[in-house]
Amino acid sequence: MAASTDCLIKGMEGETCMRVSKLDRQYAMAGYIMMAPALLVIALVTIFPIGYSIWMSLNTIQSTFTGFSFTFSGLTNYAIVFANQQFWQALEFTVFYAIVTVAVELVLGLLVALALNQPIRGRGVAVAVMLIPWTLITVISAQMWAYIYNGIYGVLNYLLMQLHIIGAPVLWLGTAGLATFAMMVADIWKTTPFVTMILLAGLQLIPEDLYEAAKIDGASVWKRFWHVTFPLLRPSLGLATLFRILQAFGLFDLPFVLTGGGPGTSTTSIAMLAYRAIFNDGDYGPGTAVAVTTVGIVIILALASLKALRTQVGEVES
Amino acid sequence: MSDPAAILSGGKGRKPPSPRESMSRRNVIVKKTIGYVVLVLMLLVIIAPFYWMVVTSFKGNLEISNIPPTLFPHHPILTQYEQAFGVYGFGVYFRNSIIVSVSATIVVILFASLASYAIARLPIRGKAPLMVGLLAISTFPQVAVISPLFILLERLGWLNSYQALIIPYVAFNLPFAIWVMRTYFVGIPKELDEAARVDGANLFTTIFRVILPLATPGLFTGGVFTFVACWTEFFFALTFNNDTAFRTIPVGIALFSGQFTIPYGTIFAGSTVAVAPIVILVLIFQKWVVAGLTAGAVKG
Repeated sequence: MAASTDCLIKGMEGETCMRVSKLDRQYAMAGYIMMAPALLVIALVTIFPIGYSIWMSLNTIQSTFTGFSFTFSGLTNYAIVFANQQFWQALEFTVFYAIVTVAVELVLGLLVALALNQPIRGRGVAVAVMLIPWTLITVISAQMWAYIYNGIYGVLNYLLMQLHIIGAPVLWLGTAGLATFAMMVADIWKTTPFVTMILLAGLQLIPEDLYEAAKIDGASVWKRFWHVTFPLLRPSLGLATLFRILQAFGLFDLPFVLTGGGPGTSTTSIAMLAYRAIFNDGDYGPGTAVAVTTVGIVIILALASLKALRTQVGEVES
Repeated sequence: MSDPAAILSGGKGRKPPSPRESMSRRNVIVKKTIGYVVLVLMLLVIIAPFYWMVVTSFKGNLEISNIPPTLFPHHPILTQYEQAFGVYGFGVYFRNSIIVSVSATIVVILFASLASYAIARLPIRGKAPLMVGLLAISTFPQVAVISPLFILLERLGWLNSYQALIIPYVAFNLPFAIWVMRTYFVGIPKELDEAARVDGANLFTTIFRVILPLATPGLFTGGVFTFVACWTEFFFALTFNNDTAFRTIPVGIALFSGQFTIPYGTIFAGSTVAVAPIVILVLIFQKWVVAGLTAGAVKG
């Protein structure tokens, strides 16, 4: 199908050219119509509500019998939020959690993918099994792990005591630092297989001959990894990292069921904080301000990473 | 140059392996051993908690909170399952999850195939910014839209309904589905479109009779990802459909509460029933899932 500009390039004469561009416009029109349902739904559920969220965050909102009453209050909600100790604690926790879990998942995932990147029997089964944690509903995983971590009858304490690693039962979910660690383990368990699969797929795309060439040049295992594998894997690694970190800001399901955000508020994520503020405490204004702040952070991170990614991809390609 | 592989397979071996070849052979064995060890370890680590959950669902309440924990139930029983579906009404959650997930998946496949065909094939403006925009939207945390959506649904009287979940699920899954399907459409040679048109087919016939059947992998991939996403979604389901009549499985599991203790046995019975079908589904469609991920990796 020739685009209108092709007309000029191919040097078509007047009427033929007009006929082609008219057809183009008809096709383009059909195209817009075909895209409309999808774009409409997306705009309705994401773009307009985000705009409305921003508006909400600039208002003092009261829930009344007849609905909601909005009183414009500028940046008051943000002032409230940024002065709130719990906000910073939740933000700090979410960022820390994101960095640690994503880093561990990537390293672990890469190691496993590297180990599996060879013709061994049973790899097909392995890939199939690796998909299972991805299909698992997060709150089910949380209940699973809550039972394992239970201070009194949890199997983890039992095993650790049998192995004489600990002397007495540990209150995994009831101790401030430990709860964070326990939650991270549950998260890493659930997500690493998926990361492994993505990385394995990326590794399989690297042609054997590159390794052969490196071997002939006498490169050691480490050198081969650093100069062949890593550069070619970097784009997929980068993309996976980006998506995982952005996803981590939505952390909600796991803490909600596993720890309830506790002990105290030590495992309350930023999304949980917003949820509680809005739906438990009825603080629609400040709660939405927290949500909007989170989106702002996500956008900045995404833009920064995209820039870094593009320069990296540019390097690899050159 | 001798071939290490031939030596390994115990070939005719006319001369003893050179030091370099021995080392290469040893390397391969070491690599394979590591590979197998990692494989087995990984499988064990993944399966262990699942095993623990399923096994617990067949134990009685006393045995569940007993120390030491038992690797296998003393007397396997189905009481927990009866509880889950009888007393706790888990069947309702199951039904709701199916209705919501299937509906959303069908709508996503429909809307996404239309949109991605348009983007892949038709001369519309602004394709690149559109694709980037879609990607950007898919990264938005749900918390960003939860309060406006809640207020809107409340005003429409749509809280605790199927559409309250189906519509947002469709919206949030469309970007990825469009991306995946577009990749497939682009891979189909344009000559087919033109051949169909020469044969007198209009746009719709071209799409539905010629192109779509070839893009079925893309449809499957988009469908599987959407279904899994809907089945496992919690945040919206918790907020919009809190009423027990409209709860989906994740909310049902999360809000299961006993009088004095958390009824793990019942929770795990419901969970096992919730987990089994989708595991089977994904294993059947695993080819499409891996394809969907590799398509992303190839795009880079």
